[in-house]
Amino acid sequence: MKSLMSPRAKLLGAALAFALSAAAPAWAETYNLTVDRIEIDTGDFTKTGIGFNGASPGPVLRFKEGEDVTIKVKNNLPEATSIHWHGLILPYQQDGVPMISYDGIAPGETFTYKFPIVQNGTYWFHSHSGFQEPDGAYGSIIIDAKGREPYRYDREYVIQLTDAHPHSGDRIMRNLKMMPDYYNRKQRTLFDFLDDAQDKGLDAALADRRAWGEMRMMPTDIEDLQGFTALMNGKGPDQNWTGLFKPGERVRLRFINSSAMTYFDVRIPGLKMTVVQADGNNVQPVTVDEFRIAVAETYDVIVRPKEDKAFTVFAESMGRTAFARGTLAPREGMVADVPALRNDPLLTMADMGMAHEGMDHSGMSGAEHSMPNGKTMSGAMKHGDMAGGHSMEKGMSMEGMDHSAHGGMKMEQADPFYAPGSGLAPAAANGGKFLSYADLKAQKPRYEDREATREIELRLTGNMERYIWSIDGIKYADADPIRLQFGERVRFKFINETMMSHPMHLHGMWSIIDNGNGARDPIKHVVSVAPGTTVYMETEVDAEGQWAFHCHLSYHADSGMFRKVVVEGGPGDKQAALTPESGK
Amino acid sequence: MRFKFVKEAATVVAIAASIPVFATAAVAAGSHGGGAEIGTPGAVSETTRTIEVKMYDNFYEPETIDIREGETIRFVIKNEGELVHEFNIGTATGHAAHQEEMMMMVEHGVLEADRINWNAAKKMQASMGHGAHDDPNSTLLEPGQSGEVVWTFPEHATLEFACNVPGHYDAGMMGEINLTH
Repeated sequence: MKSLMSPRAKLLGAALAFALSAAAPAWAETYNLTVDRIEIDTGDFTKTGIGFNGASPGPVLRFKEGEDVTIKVKNNLPEATSIHWHGLILPYQQDGVPMISYDGIAPGETFTYKFPIVQNGTYWFHSHSGFQEPDGAYGSIIIDAKGREPYRYDREYVIQLTDAHPHSGDRIMRNLKMMPDYYNRKQRTLFDFLDDAQDKGLDAALADRRAWGEMRMMPTDIEDLQGFTALMNGKGPDQNWTGLFKPGERVRLRFINSSAMTYFDVRIPGLKMTVVQADGNNVQPVTVDEFRIAVAETYDVIVRPKEDKAFTVFAESMGRTAFARGTLAPREGMVADVPALRNDPLLTMADMGMAHEGMDHSGMSGAEHSMPNGKTMSGAMKHGDMAGGHSMEKGMSMEGMDHSAHGGMKMEQADPFYAPGSGLAPAAANGGKFLSYADLKAQKPRYEDREATREIELRLTGNMERYIWSIDGIKYADADPIRLQFGERVRFKFINETMMSHPMHLHGMWSIIDNGNGARDPIKHVVSVAPGTTVYMETEVDAEGQWAFHCHLSYHADSGMFRKVVVEGGPGDKQAALTPESGK
Repeated sequence: MRFKFVKEAATVVAIAASIPVFATAAVAAGSHGGGAEIGTPGAVSETTRTIEVKMYDNFYEPETIDIREGETIRFVIKNEGELVHEFNIGTATGHAAHQEEMMMMVEHGVLEADRINWNAAKKMQASMGHGAHDDPNSTLLEPGQSGEVVWTFPEHATLEFACNVPGHYDAGMMGEINLTH
């Protein structure tokens, strides 16, 4: 198959010059990175943070599928650091997680990573030490495909989002431990209660308040961390990152969410986006008006602006407290209208795993309902059979439907990856199509479709009062590793017993989400599990060694929502034993 | 699981003909089947040349086609990809309208990623008046299949060949038809 080269390469070179914040791209086969203290200026505040090659975000590393890369990382910080290549398949010793892959990189030391590139697409890299990533230590990776990509475009931009906060990551963690709603500005007030009473009636409003109160949770807890400035390619909304285009061109936008804690709903008013890749894997193209990008996910879209005008790239935080903003324009200096933030969504009882339509709350206090493991939660109920996660019928078959009575047919379907009645289920601002996990279908499956060899259930749990986040009620420090056998196909069942969405990230191996598409289930590296839902994903265990597996919300991972995965029985096990575990 | 047919072009035409056709729009104006503005179905005996088009996931080879106004071309199309693709001659506006029809075919279970469900197509045609996808300006092919379109091009038109399977056009599966005197 022919591959397009020279005319595009020139455009890409020019395009990348715009896409980068400061540092030059690394084109050589040996790449050099330094980790440095830097000053970060968001337009709203400045702070001392951490950057790569003197900048945050760090450079766009550009690799070629099939090459062997050497990356030398010099640590100029007074503390240890590390770099993890998010989404890359490589030998576990190159994965960059201290105490799992290696010892980290000491102050002043240079560590040399060497690994083959066996994939293509958009990925990213970041520190896996402390809270260096939230403090600015992140960058992007573009891997050019060996063959021809299943889509065409004339230029491309990386659009990397983050939630920069005036407080350092260490300070934020201390505050959250001390007072979990420290950063939650949207406490509901007496006036909100009076509004509820007017809308729903006093009894219902009181019952609702009591139900939430008994669980010691605030219905506003969509975002743990508020007060941040959202950045697009390192620029705040007023600094306005701009990407140029010629009207009629197809532009590939490589969206990366490198936030610590924030999901964004992304739209470009006036432009539809055709999603062609998710987490570095090509999907059958699907055209949408808006999509939600979870922490650590990537989505590549193609847009085709035909008009000679500017378009706003708008990324609204899921809790509607902030937005990142940039512009696509034919010339520098052009701007388009910036939408106002929409109203903040409120979680409902459905997001707690309950569908409470018409239920009388007043008689519900106490341990009426017990959880599958015998624990009881006062005021709370967990339905064993939750919609939103079971294997679905293939597509929506309408065979045999009687069409005589209808004119146009619009397929409105609630997103099955949110609890029915969820307050978090997204809707496109312009009333159009919002991307769902259900819409993702692999363009080309990576593995033979086969039955899983066993199922592992993981309950996503948390104690909001002490800001402890965990899996199966056990935090990382107290947990045994998850042991997998090389060659098996494990089906992971995530049951979200909390009221937050968790982007679960398994290092080193792919996560194939079961969305009812069989052989064409999408292949990802981050699986976001919404509150009150169960999501299944399968992994072909084909990477020996030990791997991190964690919620990618930085303050959740650090407080215990983390596991080590050990893969046993691989070819390397016959040789020298793995490094003995030193206290996990 | 995939069906891998290797059907002759004639067989494809025979199947299309066997589905009850309620829309006889072969030469009607509009997005179905033709009108002077996009050209008319041609006679094989009048063809000036044959152009081979290969369909891959998700792009064509060649990427553009040069044709003289009034020429009758026999297109031989082969789907070398793993997904169902279309080769459709029309205007950008016509393609946009056809994309909506193809979306309905997906919703009716007619158009799956890698195969066409002919039973569902029959039912959709019967209840909605379209869905069998048998217009002379286009061919819809499963992986490995071949098809033919014989077309007489008009004068002065801005035409594209395109795949209107949902998402494919937007991903770039379309090309310009350069009409010259």
